[in-house]
Amino acid sequence: MENKLSGSPTSLVDQFVIPGDEGLDLSTMSNQTIKLGSSLRQDGDVLSVMKAGTFKFSKPNKYWVESSQKRYEPHAGDSVLGIVVDSKADNFLVDIKGPALAFLPVLAFEGGTRRNIPKFEAGTLIYVRVVKANPGMNPELSCTDASGKAAEFGQLKDGFMFESSTGLSRMLLSSPTCPVLDALGKKLSFEIAVGLNGRVWVNATSPSTVIVVANGIMNSEFKSEVQQRGMVEKLLQNLKLSSQSFSYTYMIPTSTFIGCLLLTNFLQLTNMKQTSLMFSLQLDN
Amino acid sequence: METRLANIWRLTVNEKKFIETALQSDLRIDGRRPFDFRNISIKFSREEGSAEVQLGQTHVMAFVTAQLTQPYKDRPNEGTLSMFTEFSPMADPSFEPGRPSEAAVELGRVIDRGLRESRAVDTESLCVLSGKSVWAVRVDLHILDNGGNLVDAANIAALAALLTFRRPECSLGGEDGQQVIVHPPEVREPLPLIIHHLPIAVTFAFFSNESTVVIDPTHYEEAVMGGRMTATLNANNDICAIQKAGGEGVLQSVIMQCLRIAGQKAYDITTKIKNAVESYNTERALRKIKRHPSSVALDISGAGVNIGKSQNKPVPQKGDSERSNLTSEKSMADQSMDIEGEAKSSEQQQTNKIDGDAKNFIGGPSSWDPYSAGVNSDFLKASLASRGKTLPSRKEQDSRGENMSGEAKPVEPPEDINVSLSNIEASETVLRTNGEKTLKDAVKPKNKRKMKSSPTSER
Repeated sequence: MENKLSGSPTSLVDQFVIPGDEGLDLSTMSNQTIKLGSSLRQDGDVLSVMKAGTFKFSKPNKYWVESSQKRYEPHAGDSVLGIVVDSKADNFLVDIKGPALAFLPVLAFEGGTRRNIPKFEAGTLIYVRVVKANPGMNPELSCTDASGKAAEFGQLKDGFMFESSTGLSRMLLSSPTCPVLDALGKKLSFEIAVGLNGRVWVNATSPSTVIVVANGIMNSEFKSEVQQRGMVEKLLQNLKLSSQSFSYTYMIPTSTFIGCLLLTNFLQLTNMKQTSLMFSLQLDN
Repeated sequence: METRLANIWRLTVNEKKFIETALQSDLRIDGRRPFDFRNISIKFSREEGSAEVQLGQTHVMAFVTAQLTQPYKDRPNEGTLSMFTEFSPMADPSFEPGRPSEAAVELGRVIDRGLRESRAVDTESLCVLSGKSVWAVRVDLHILDNGGNLVDAANIAALAALLTFRRPECSLGGEDGQQVIVHPPEVREPLPLIIHHLPIAVTFAFFSNESTVVIDPTHYEEAVMGGRMTATLNANNDICAIQKAGGEGVLQSVIMQCLRIAGQKAYDITTKIKNAVESYNTERALRKIKRHPSSVALDISGAGVNIGKSQNKPVPQKGDSERSNLTSEKSMADQSMDIEGEAKSSEQQQTNKIDGDAKNFIGGPSSWDPYSAGVNSDFLKASLASRGKTLPSRKEQDSRGENMSGEAKPVEPPEDINVSLSNIEASETVLRTNGEKTLKDAVKPKNKRKMKSSPTSER
């Protein structure tokens, strides 16, 4: 990886960059095709950075800048958590934290016909997939995956939803499991759905568990692995888990996109990579 | 229009249900118990009269300014206190710039009522010229981040800002005594406002389940709650104001319980505010004192004039006994420690006297004005004579702070002022050239002078 960038004095891969930095000197790579991801722009011979973030590279030839912000920019293929605002004849109007409300066609459900249109009232939380996201237009959503199956999309009942930044969502969805989820999952049993738009939904049998998980996740974005685990330990101590009941542990990482099994946890990475993992985190005490 | 729709913060049915379910088991979503306040942090800026308060995620800033205006016709002897609130759009997507919304007006009104009706701020002391000229104090509240419970946070910010605000001192002058002269802060120390007590606002949120009450609601809880009540009390458990605008009906017993709890919280918050203000004040005073060694030249003349004045005062107590004590207390360090028991020689008595004067000058508002009072050349010489020896000790004593102010004043043997002029002038010039000196530097000249002065003391 570094050898390719021998032309530039310091390789900026995995470094923090700010707008105006030159990511790569393209004159040294004239016979290669590289793919540029978000926040990178070609200015003649120079690859300049448009947003502050971490400069990332993945083989064979993809470069992008990963930044974290509270705003969400809709992108086709993302799985997000939306809140239904209104329902029209043909669409539900859904807020996905983007610049415009998104449309969810009433038929975009598995086995959806005019007869069994789901009744979503205002304020319903749904897990949806972004189908189309063109600039200037309202994004389009769907509650099915690309092949038409339900795949865990749809309404999320009970639980608690909180908003944070897109960087946190990506961290929660990364593989291997991020430390905070790992540490929490070892001791607590909960369900979690992470939207790439910065929204996270947590559900568990007892409210105290939900609160501990939610607070742990909210505070973990800028912590290192050790700090995350330490924080989770403290939270769990406060919770006094000595009397928690036993449940089964299942971990099924897959590299293909599958419909759900037991509890839900959809993971999707950034727009450069598309893999999804399924996760159930449960207790062992 | 649609963009605005997209940007509003929305509440889902899941959250509403969850918050209420959790409250049944006395759990709040940020892990607090129902009657816990969030962490309060109070910060001040270099400007006097501005405070920034963080209550969890809620950020509020308060600024206090004052202007001379005409009083109201029906209250010619009282100054005025007015409150302006600004809900900045960066605090919440639903805040819009321009005219204050209903919530903004209500917030300003609740805080204003707490301060005005309870007469916490003494408005009569703000009167300069009855019927013509009074101070109008204006408090500007800026909401920077809405994390819930803006009223309480804004109230604390307003109180902290009012406590640290200093208004310029003004006096009546002119030919007919009717002109108001406002003295700039460099000339005369500005005065604090007189605040009798601190009314603290405590907000309660009621939920649809009748007996569920929480204190200090967060943003989420405010969206879900059925009603709210703000009680403003002071640390003595006097109720200054209560505000319950609409919302669910609440049992009388619940209200009484809330008031009891509010009393305890008000006491806690009052101590927090007072501690923060005190540490800010000491820090500010220290800053002022450190400035003085660089302005020694001015002080010399000032102290000199004071010495002249004090010569006319009866020579107090410590006469010859102090001289004998000199031999036992030689080191500067000892002197600095105990200004009263120390330095009982001719020079050192002068030291103390001048230090006392200087300290009086530094410490607080003084009635003596170095710029307006003329400097008598005789007194100046006299002061220089005594001053030269005393400057080093004075400097270190300055840095000690106010604890020595005033104590040295009585120690004044007038007859020793005109001692060894030459010695003193020499040492004085030395001192003048060395701007900031440390304790050690100060010690050396003193020792030298001791050798010289011993023959003089034996005179």
